[in-house]
Amino acid sequence: MSDRTLTLQVNGRPYTLEVPSGQTLLETLRESLELVGVRDSCGIGMCGTCTVLVDGRAISSCLTLTAQVENKHITTIEGLSQDGQLHPVQQAYIDHGAFQCAYCTPGFILSTVALLGENANPDDAAIREYLAGNLCRCGSYVNILNAVRACRTIDD
Amino acid sequence: MAVGKSVPMLDSVARVTGTVPYPSNLKLPDMLVGKIFRSRVPHAHVMKLDVSAAERLPGVVAIVTAADFAGDDKPNLHFGSPIQDQPIVAGDRIRYIGEPLALIAAESAAVADQAMDLIELEYEELSAVFDAEQAMLPGAPILHEASPDNIVRHSKLRRGDIDAGFAAADEIVEEVFSSPMAQQASLETHVATARWKEGKLTVWTGSQSPYTVRRVLGAIFDLDLENVRVIVPPLGGGFGGKGNVRIQPMAAALAWKVGNRPVKLMMTRAEEFVTVTKHAAKIMIKSGVKFDGTFTAREVSIYWNGGAYASSSAHLVPAGMLRAIGPYRIPAVHVDSYGIYTNLPIAAAYRGAMSSQGVFAHESHMDTIAHLLGIDPLELRTKNLLRTDDLFATGERLHDIHFVECLEAAAYGLGWHEPLQSDNGTIKKRGRGLAVMMKNTIANSYSECRIELDAEGRVTLFVSTVEMGQGGHTALAQIAAEALGVPIEVLAVTGPDTAETPPDAQTASSRSTHMMGNAVLDGAASLRQQLAEAAAPILEWSPDDLSVADGYVFVTTQPQARIPYTEVLGRNNIDALTATGKYSTNEGKLDPDTGQGISTPDWHQGAGACEVEVDTQTGKVTVLRYHSASFAGRVVNPTLAGLQNDGNVIFGMGASLLEEVAIDGGQITNPNLSDYMLPSFLDTPVELKNVSLEEEGSSFQGIGEMTLPPVAPAIANAIYDAVGARIRDLPLTAEKVLRGIQGRTDHER
Repeated sequence: MSDRTLTLQVNGRPYTLEVPSGQTLLETLRESLELVGVRDSCGIGMCGTCTVLVDGRAISSCLTLTAQVENKHITTIEGLSQDGQLHPVQQAYIDHGAFQCAYCTPGFILSTVALLGENANPDDAAIREYLAGNLCRCGSYVNILNAVRACRTIDD
Repeated sequence: MAVGKSVPMLDSVARVTGTVPYPSNLKLPDMLVGKIFRSRVPHAHVMKLDVSAAERLPGVVAIVTAADFAGDDKPNLHFGSPIQDQPIVAGDRIRYIGEPLALIAAESAAVADQAMDLIELEYEELSAVFDAEQAMLPGAPILHEASPDNIVRHSKLRRGDIDAGFAAADEIVEEVFSSPMAQQASLETHVATARWKEGKLTVWTGSQSPYTVRRVLGAIFDLDLENVRVIVPPLGGGFGGKGNVRIQPMAAALAWKVGNRPVKLMMTRAEEFVTVTKHAAKIMIKSGVKFDGTFTAREVSIYWNGGAYASSSAHLVPAGMLRAIGPYRIPAVHVDSYGIYTNLPIAAAYRGAMSSQGVFAHESHMDTIAHLLGIDPLELRTKNLLRTDDLFATGERLHDIHFVECLEAAAYGLGWHEPLQSDNGTIKKRGRGLAVMMKNTIANSYSECRIELDAEGRVTLFVSTVEMGQGGHTALAQIAAEALGVPIEVLAVTGPDTAETPPDAQTASSRSTHMMGNAVLDGAASLRQQLAEAAAPILEWSPDDLSVADGYVFVTTQPQARIPYTEVLGRNNIDALTATGKYSTNEGKLDPDTGQGISTPDWHQGAGACEVEVDTQTGKVTVLRYHSASFAGRVVNPTLAGLQNDGNVIFGMGASLLEEVAIDGGQITNPNLSDYMLPSFLDTPVELKNVSLEEEGSSFQGIGEMTLPPVAPAIANAIYDAVGARIRDLPLTAEKVLRGIQGRTDHER
């Protein structure tokens, strides 16, 4: 496989990298950029642990070739907090105890950010539907629902 | 008071920022990638295994085969706790599809994959057996010559006159239940990184049993235990699958062959399915009852499919025997529990180990009996449930028993006696079901901790309790903070690292908060005594007259005479105080022929009740509402306790409705998270509630599994209530339910 030189915009910073043409975004982020908040679990886009935002949309980085996202804005969990301040969604996950082993948590938080970007006031059904692509084997779904509810602009 | 508060997990910020140092993240200088060449046939004699071409491939650093273990000065090929029947890599015999044959250490995964294609294997296939009962038949293929009947372990329980019991019964009900092989499916797969340096072995791994791993690695490489160091960072899930010893011997063997560079071995999702599984089980249960609902006898036979090697089955089969009886007053009980070798991957603990299968059987069976006798299922249970001071089937006297409270909390929470919403003649029918469980914990085990207080007032708790998402470290810090009388904020928890943290049996069977929690109380008492002794000259009182609370050492009778605990060490020029805490249980002993004796120091107790909707046209089951209850004794952290209860229910819904490892000729055909489905948000009941029952004066009881085993029978009983179909085979798929509905309709016609 031939390498290609690509420029990626990750967490607001440009990175120019030599990337094998078949490399997934998951591999590039974890191995080359050492962003270990992006996680490998199922490898086939079923579990959501490798979720990142590309131009604000939640995608599975295990199913995305790095070459596909050249010059697009990629956000990983490492880029969510600003100047040491947690993002409100991160804080809500802590306040509601919305994780256990937390291997899935970065994916859930990024999916939540994407959901709220599309719909600032999702109802419970919309939250459950949107987050169904992220799996939590520890089963923290009730607390995750409570955390996401607390992030709506109208919290009922 | 730190206990009883919903303190966020100590490393919460790391958990939401993606910086938890999971073992899968570990990178060491010069680290090599490990890969496994595996068998593609279930049972065979190996005629030839040639790795020479693979070894010559540039980038391949070492390849380990059974030949590396030949000779007295070499490591032992076989390992196992407690039975050493498992080879690190198969030698002359393959016993399951996916069994490791050769281990490759290479500069990259791509090179290791290429090397895989250069390995030459020749074998002569043998007939194989995959079904546990067939494996026990005369003439079945034999897996281990030392066990010609393929039985790993046969446990027996004999209590009372079983024949007289059945003779005295008005009705005898006999049923057969089955549960399939399942997979623990932690989102972080098994991982181990090993490094040898100057004759010492260090392993970083995702394990629930660091001290077992150390002992077994010491035995394989004939090392003194101080020369084996096992470090366990926080895990991305365990669920029993990471108990005992799994891939660590392979990582250690690779690093041993390589010599001077570390090797990391991490399972792919597909490999995870051949690394460890949940026992498939077939359970025959037969009860004698009087018309008034009194039990006269119960007979249970259990066939556990243990896979190709003994591993955890050796100690889980007797535990499974006790967990299949049910928490009921029954004067005569006979149980036979068989663990059986088959040509399948190893089976071991799966959250609620060896309970889910048995509880599905006895709690479905209770409903069958309730309907036969025309007694409400809740009433039949509460009439017969064991109480404190009753004798269990082992003959041991029960203490701190709360089965009735657990079951009633779940049932009344759901609204058991309230009318069901009418189906209005639609195709969707509603029903309710409930179930209760009892589980012994590990009978004889040991926990130890060390607590250090430094001159700045910081407290560090050194424990080998594994943090795998349950919040164990946070709960132990809360217990320590309260017992020491210091704020939770000064607490830090470190471990497991066998070079730094004292021994603990393992993080399994919901034992840590109870066992290690009591060790922490012991250590804290000792540290408080030292603190009082150090403060005594300053306060000019005897240490016996001093107390520690709210961050001060003070005179018990004159609380205004006090000194901040943070100043005590400095004013005495002491750098640090250290205390060790210990807790052990050692009363357990069952007679091997009768199963009579003491099986556990404490009983795990839980229950669940649910309401389901069944689509009578498709058989699809939706769990609308679920209420669970566990007995916690004293809750350390309500949020974390709630997560255990709810998490169990959701985990249990997977095993009840979705999860089944599909096998064809010994080959697992769904080793991925698309075909092997885990419960998602949309599978979670819209109403999911839990309660952790407490009791004045009680200690911390384990709650890591108790609300899981009732899930499958509660749902199965609700399906029966809704549509009259009794499904005795897990998972409760739409196909089985529809077939059940149609069968019932045909019968009625």
